[in-house]
Amino acid sequence: MKLKLYIKLVSASIRSRMQYKMNFVFSMVSYGIVMMIDFLMLAAILNRFNEVKGWNLYEVGILYGISSVSLSLYRTVAPEIHEFEKYMIEGEFDSLLIRPVSPLVLLLSKNLDLSRIGGALQGMIIIALSLYHVSHTHSITLLLIYLPVILVCGWVISFSLALVTATIAFWTQRIKDFQTFTLYAPFYAANYPMNIYPGWLKFIFFTVIPVAFINYVPMLFLLNKSGNIYYLLLPVLVALLFFYLALAFWNFGIRFYHSTGT
Amino acid sequence: MVYWHLFRKSFACNMQYRLSHLINNAASAIFGFVYIAIWTGVLTGKEQKSPYSILDMTYYMGASQCILWMTVFLTAGLGIQLGVRNGAISIELARPVSYYFYVVSQEAGRIAYNALFRSLPIGLIFSMTVGFYVPSHWTTFGYSLLSLLLAIGISLNIFYLIGISSCWTTEISWAHFIILTLMFSLGGQMVPLTFLPEFLSQLAKWLPFAGVVYYPVLIFLEKADHSVLLLQAGWLLVLFFANHWITAAARQKVEIQGG
Repeated sequence: MKLKLYIKLVSASIRSRMQYKMNFVFSMVSYGIVMMIDFLMLAAILNRFNEVKGWNLYEVGILYGISSVSLSLYRTVAPEIHEFEKYMIEGEFDSLLIRPVSPLVLLLSKNLDLSRIGGALQGMIIIALSLYHVSHTHSITLLLIYLPVILVCGWVISFSLALVTATIAFWTQRIKDFQTFTLYAPFYAANYPMNIYPGWLKFIFFTVIPVAFINYVPMLFLLNKSGNIYYLLLPVLVALLFFYLALAFWNFGIRFYHSTGT
Repeated sequence: MVYWHLFRKSFACNMQYRLSHLINNAASAIFGFVYIAIWTGVLTGKEQKSPYSILDMTYYMGASQCILWMTVFLTAGLGIQLGVRNGAISIELARPVSYYFYVVSQEAGRIAYNALFRSLPIGLIFSMTVGFYVPSHWTTFGYSLLSLLLAIGISLNIFYLIGISSCWTTEISWAHFIILTLMFSLGGQMVPLTFLPEFLSQLAKWLPFAGVVYYPVLIFLEKADHSVLLLQAGWLLVLFFANHWITAAARQKVEIQGG
């Protein structure tokens, strides 16, 4: 029932977006290009110095691609969660509370930011190119089979982190500054292998902001660096746990909502 | 003087958000630590292959995180596009002051605020943790200040150019996004231009983006020739005159969107 409603609301949102086709195509392409330049910078460093703490360009490319696809998929599906502070500042959250559907479902179905798919495509291209090169030295069969699971887990973890950040808005109203802590900086960090970071940063990325499980942990095993088959289970467990905690936190936070009274 | 007044008012306006900005400073510092960790990882054991040591890169990243708040994180289009969309620009252009200086002086006030409440605290965080470069010659402070002012001038003009282009395009959010990316990449914020592939590195050194981050940081670190100041000044002049010409054209173009 909820899913049916979600699909109906989302398709309405897509139809309204498609009224501005040129703008859509242009924004998708430029988003993809911008992210590509981002990767070229990383490639420039590794091209010159060959590797970073035992990871070569193509191995880092896989990490980068996974982190990039996870974040882009979240930005595609949940733009209203990302922009949640406007509901607090402008008091728009009231109108979501009086409807007979959960506010979270309403927020998710309200809008899809399809231009972000450009970022996901770019990430997929980088994964594909990197896998091609890695396949010369490693067997990548298991990696290919398991990649969809890794991407879904990455998406769930990034969504959960974003939901926790959005929930903070019930107390602080504004969340833009927190997003740099919980999303932008950690996802940038996750483009590179975790073993380059000092202990305190590693601790954060393996616990409170678990971006290490999005790509680094499963790739340790899949690229024969270290670890065992259980490393493949960890992203799934972390994703489920974090999703559960994020939902619980959201449901707890919502009780503290008070309108702006405007 | 009206522009000085606008400058001070814009500074005072930003003071209202001090607390939230201080939180953001910590986030900027985190980014800086991530960059430093990446470069430490990359250069460990390979310092002899690089023109910069790990310590150099630590100083470079610290200084570039500070300067970003004065030269890169400016208001998108300096807010000009908002006036274009709601029609206010027709009144602003009709005022008996230069529209260019009217817009630029307000942003300059914000930059002065950022220098005190963003760049300075971020610099302090780095100096207390990983260290911050102190130039060995006292003249370097003078050259650095000059290079920084030129960098701010170039940046203000680039953002103004994007903003005023909205008279023709209305929508500038993607142009803003692209220009930011160019400032980050070709400006040498994360990767010093010498590390880019030869062709790109040579090209980027002549573009205005290098004058926004790369050159001021290198002058502060005493790793660039002072002649780069001329390149910065050249770009500032070119952009300044281009903007005056385009503003004159925009004056002819303004149409009221029938509200």
